[in-house]
Amino acid sequence: MFYREAGQYKTSYAKDLQAFPIKQDKIGMFIWGILAVVVAVIGIPGLGYDFAMKAIIIPTLIFTITALGLNILVGFAGQISLGTGAFMGVGAYACLKLTTFFPDVNILIHFVLSGFVAAVIGMFFGLPSLRIKGFYLVVATLGAQFFLEWAFGRIPWLYNFADSGAIEVPTRTLFGVPITGASADVTWQYFIVLFFLAGMTWIASNLIRGRIGRSWMMIRDMDIAAELIGVRPLWTKLSAFAVSSFYCGVSGALMVFIWLGAAEVESFDINHSFLYLFMVIIGGLGSITGSFMGAAFIWIFPILLKEVGKSFGYNATLMENISLVAIGVMIVIILIKEPHGLARLWQISKQKLRLWPFPH
Amino acid sequence: MNEMSSMTPEQLNAGGYSTPDGRPIGSPVMEMKNITLKFGGVTALSNISFNILEGEIRAIIGPNGAGKSSMLNVINGFYHPQEGEVWFQGSPRPSMPPYEIAEQGIARTFQNIALFKGMSTLQNVMTGRQLKMKKNMFWQMLRYGPAIQEEVEHRRKAEEVIDFLEIQHIRHAPVGSLPYGLQKRVELARALAMEPDLLLLDEPMAGMNVEEKEDMSRFILDVNEQYGTTIALIEHDMAVVMDIADRVVVLDYGRMLADGTPGEVQADQAVIDAYLGVSS
Amino acid sequence: MELLYGIFIDPWIQMVSLPDFFVQVLWEGFVSGVLYSLIALGFVLIFKASGVFNFAQGIMVVFAALAMVGIYELGVPGWLSVIIALGIMYALAFSVERFVMRPLVGQDDIILFMATIGLTFILIGGGQAIFGGEPKAMLTSEIGLPSGDYVWEMGGGIVIFQKLDIAATVIAGALIAGLAFFFSYTKIGRALRAVADDHQAAVSVGIGLNQIWVVVWFAAGIVALVTGIMWGAKSDVSFALQIVALKALPVLVLGGFTSIPGAIVGGLIIGIGEKVFEIYWGGLMGGGVESWFAFIIALIFLLFRPQGLFGDKIIERV
Repeated sequence: MFYREAGQYKTSYAKDLQAFPIKQDKIGMFIWGILAVVVAVIGIPGLGYDFAMKAIIIPTLIFTITALGLNILVGFAGQISLGTGAFMGVGAYACLKLTTFFPDVNILIHFVLSGFVAAVIGMFFGLPSLRIKGFYLVVATLGAQFFLEWAFGRIPWLYNFADSGAIEVPTRTLFGVPITGASADVTWQYFIVLFFLAGMTWIASNLIRGRIGRSWMMIRDMDIAAELIGVRPLWTKLSAFAVSSFYCGVSGALMVFIWLGAAEVESFDINHSFLYLFMVIIGGLGSITGSFMGAAFIWIFPILLKEVGKSFGYNATLMENISLVAIGVMIVIILIKEPHGLARLWQISKQKLRLWPFPH
Repeated sequence: MNEMSSMTPEQLNAGGYSTPDGRPIGSPVMEMKNITLKFGGVTALSNISFNILEGEIRAIIGPNGAGKSSMLNVINGFYHPQEGEVWFQGSPRPSMPPYEIAEQGIARTFQNIALFKGMSTLQNVMTGRQLKMKKNMFWQMLRYGPAIQEEVEHRRKAEEVIDFLEIQHIRHAPVGSLPYGLQKRVELARALAMEPDLLLLDEPMAGMNVEEKEDMSRFILDVNEQYGTTIALIEHDMAVVMDIADRVVVLDYGRMLADGTPGEVQADQAVIDAYLGVSS
Repeated sequence: MELLYGIFIDPWIQMVSLPDFFVQVLWEGFVSGVLYSLIALGFVLIFKASGVFNFAQGIMVVFAALAMVGIYELGVPGWLSVIIALGIMYALAFSVERFVMRPLVGQDDIILFMATIGLTFILIGGGQAIFGGEPKAMLTSEIGLPSGDYVWEMGGGIVIFQKLDIAATVIAGALIAGLAFFFSYTKIGRALRAVADDHQAAVSVGIGLNQIWVVVWFAAGIVALVTGIMWGAKSDVSFALQIVALKALPVLVLGGFTSIPGAIVGGLIIGIGEKVFEIYWGGLMGGGVESWFAFIIALIFLLFRPQGLFGDKIIERV
C-alpha cells in the first residue's frame, strides 16, 4: 500500500488481535463505507443506474456471500463441495415457505431463518465427510446436488403449487418500502444486500481468527494431527458444513427474493455450483478478501466480455463461450502460478508497494 | 536418598526417588503390560512390558524396524494392541478416540513433522491451546467480551511457550517455509502449549545437525525441569539419548531387549550385539 | 398400508407377472450400464497412471462425439471423420499434458482435480464455439453401425433388442479386451503399469512420465470417442450428456478408483439398478429418480465400505 505501519506499536494482545491493527487500514475501511453510500446515490458513472445495480452490483454482493460460505468449507475446512447451488436453493425455497406461512414476519428475519434451514440440510449432507475425504466427498456432495435439484422440481409443495413450477416472489416491505417483488426499490435492495454482506463478512472474519476457525484449518491441514491434539472431527466438520450452508442459504434467499424475483430449478443447478467453486479458487482458497475478488471477477468478467464483443459486432453466444474458455484457462493458470488466487497476488503487490521505491 | 545406579530393577521401576541431579521421580504414570501388536500377519510388538514414571525422561530406542513408532502409537492410543493392557494413572485405559487421549493430558510430536502448513508459527502454537478454550460459537462469531478475553489469555500462554523455545523471530512466518530444525521446534512448542502431563516425542532429533541436536536436547531437559513434564521419547541417536534420558527401553524386532538406566543398558550384552556393536 | 404395499410387494408382483417387460428393463439398464462403465474406464485409466481425478472425462465424451459429427458435416467421409476425431483427441491429450499436467506435477491431488474442472469449462466453451451448442444427430450407418432390432418372444410377450445396443456392447467388450492386451503385452503398456504402481521407481528406471501421460490421456480420449459414438447414436450428441456422464463418479465409488474390473461391474450395477428402481419404485416418488439414485447408492455404500468393491483397506499411519 501507499502507507507503512512504521511507528505503530501494539501494547496489548487485544490490540494485536484486532481485524485491522493498522490505522491506515481502518481509514481504508471507512473510505469503502463512504464509497458504498456514494454508489447507492449515483450508481456507477457511465452505466444506467438500474442496470448497474441489477446486473452488476447486487448480484456481485450476493455471490460474495456465497463465495464466503463456500470458502469457509473448502478454503478453511478443506472439505470440497459441489453442492453449493443446491444449498442456495434450500435457502430460497425455505424462504418462500417461511414467508408464505408467516407473511407478517419481516422478510429480513426470514432471510436469516432460511440460512438456518440450509445449515441443517447442509449438516445432514456433511455427515459422510466423517468417513470419507477428497474425491469421495465430491461424489457425496454431487449426490446432495442432484437429490435436492430433483426435490425442488418434483415436490410441488416447495414452490407453492405454482403452475410455472417456479418460485414466484411475493411483495414484501421494509418500513413501508417494497423490497421484494416487481415494484421493489432498487436502492433499498442494494442496502439490504450490503447490510447482509457486511455483517456476514464480519462474522466470518471473527470465526476464522478464533478457536473454531483454527480447528477448521487444523482439520484441513492435517486431520490426524488435529485429532491427536484434541479436535473432535465430528463437531468440527459439521460446524464447517453448517456455517457454510448457512451462508449459502442466506445468499440463495437473497438471490431469488432480492435479485431474480422468480426462480426455477435451473437457478440452482450444478453449473452454478461450479461457478461458485471457481469464485473461490480464482479469488483465493482460505481468504476473505479473495471471496470478494473471486465473486466480482467471475460475475463481472463475462458481462464485460459480452459488452466488448457487442461493440465489435460479435454475437452474444460466441462471447459466452469465449468467456467459458477464458474462465477455464484462468483457473488452470491460477492453479499453476498462484494456487492462493487473486488475494495472494494482491498481497504480493501490497508487499511490493510497501517497499517501493526501494525494492531491497 | 538412594543413588539410581545402586538400585535394583524393582526399586527403579517403583519410582519415588530422586535423580542424581535432584529431580523428583514419582509413581508410574503409564504402564505397558504384556503388549502385543499385530498388523495382519506381521507382529510389530510382542509381549512388551515397561512403565513410565512421573517426572522422568524415558527413552525408547532400537534399530530401524524395531517397533519404536508402533510402541509410541500404542502409548498414544492411536493403535490398539491385540494383547496386553495399557494402564494410565493407575487403571486400565479403555480404547478411545484420539481426541479423548489428548483431553487426558497426553501430547506428542511426530517423526515426519505434522505441523499445520497453512498457518503461521503463532497459529500453530495456539492450536495447542484449543482444548483449553471453551467459549461457544455465539461469542466466537462476535469475537467480543468473553471470547476476546479468552483469546488474549491463551495468546499470552502461547507467547510464553514461544519465548521459552526461542522462536519469537518466526512468530508470524508461515510454518511451511521454515527450515527443518525450526519446524521441529515449532512442533515441540505446539505440544508444550497443551501443557501436557505426558509428552511423547517421536524422533525429536532426526535429521538435525549437531548444533540443532544440542539445542533440542537442552529444550527437552529444560521442559522436564521447569514444568516437571513427564517425557517419553523415541530416538535413533544413541549418544543423545544416553545424555538426557533417566531410563531407557531397548527394542529390537518388536521384542524388548533391555530396560534400565543408560549405564546399565550400555553394558547389556544383548543390546551391544543388536545395536551398539553394529551402529556407529 | 398402501404405500408399504407399493414399496415391498407390488414391484415384485409386477416383475413376475410381466417377465418380458422385466427382461426388457434389465436389458435397457445393462446397455446404459455399459456406457457408464466406459466413462468410468476413462477415469480409471488416468487415475491409475497419474493419480489425477479427471473431472473432464464426461465432457471429453461429448467433445469427441461433437468433433466427429462436426467434421462429417464439413463433407468429410464418415470413416475419415472418425480418424480425424481421434487425431483431435490426441492433440487434446498432448496439450493437456504439456499445458496442464506438466506444470502442475507434484501439486496436491485436489489442485489437479480443480484444474480438470477448469479443463471442463474450456472444453464446453471451446466445443460450443467451434461446433455449435445445438444437439446433433450421431453418424450411425455412415460409420457402419447397424440399425433395426431383433425381437425375441418370451413369457407371452416380446423383448426388443436394438441392434445398435448389441453392437455397443460388443464394441465396448472389444475395447476393454484391446486395452487389457495393450497393458499386458506391449512395452508402453507395461511401463504404464509400472508408473501406476510406483511413480518414483518408474522414473528412476528411465520411464518418461510425460510420454506416459500423453498415452493415457489419449487412451482415455479413445474411450471417450467410442462412448460418445454409442451414446450419441442412442440419443443425440449434446452437452446435456455431460451431466449424465457424471454418473460415472458413483460407479467409481462402487468399483474403486483404480480397478478396471471394478469400473465394469460398478457400471453395470448402477445401470441396471437405476433402471429397475426408476421403473418399479420411481413412480411412488413422482419419477425422475434416475438423476440421483446412483449417487445415493454410492453414498450409502461409502459409509460401509469406503475403499470400494475391489479396493484395499486403508491403514492410516502417522
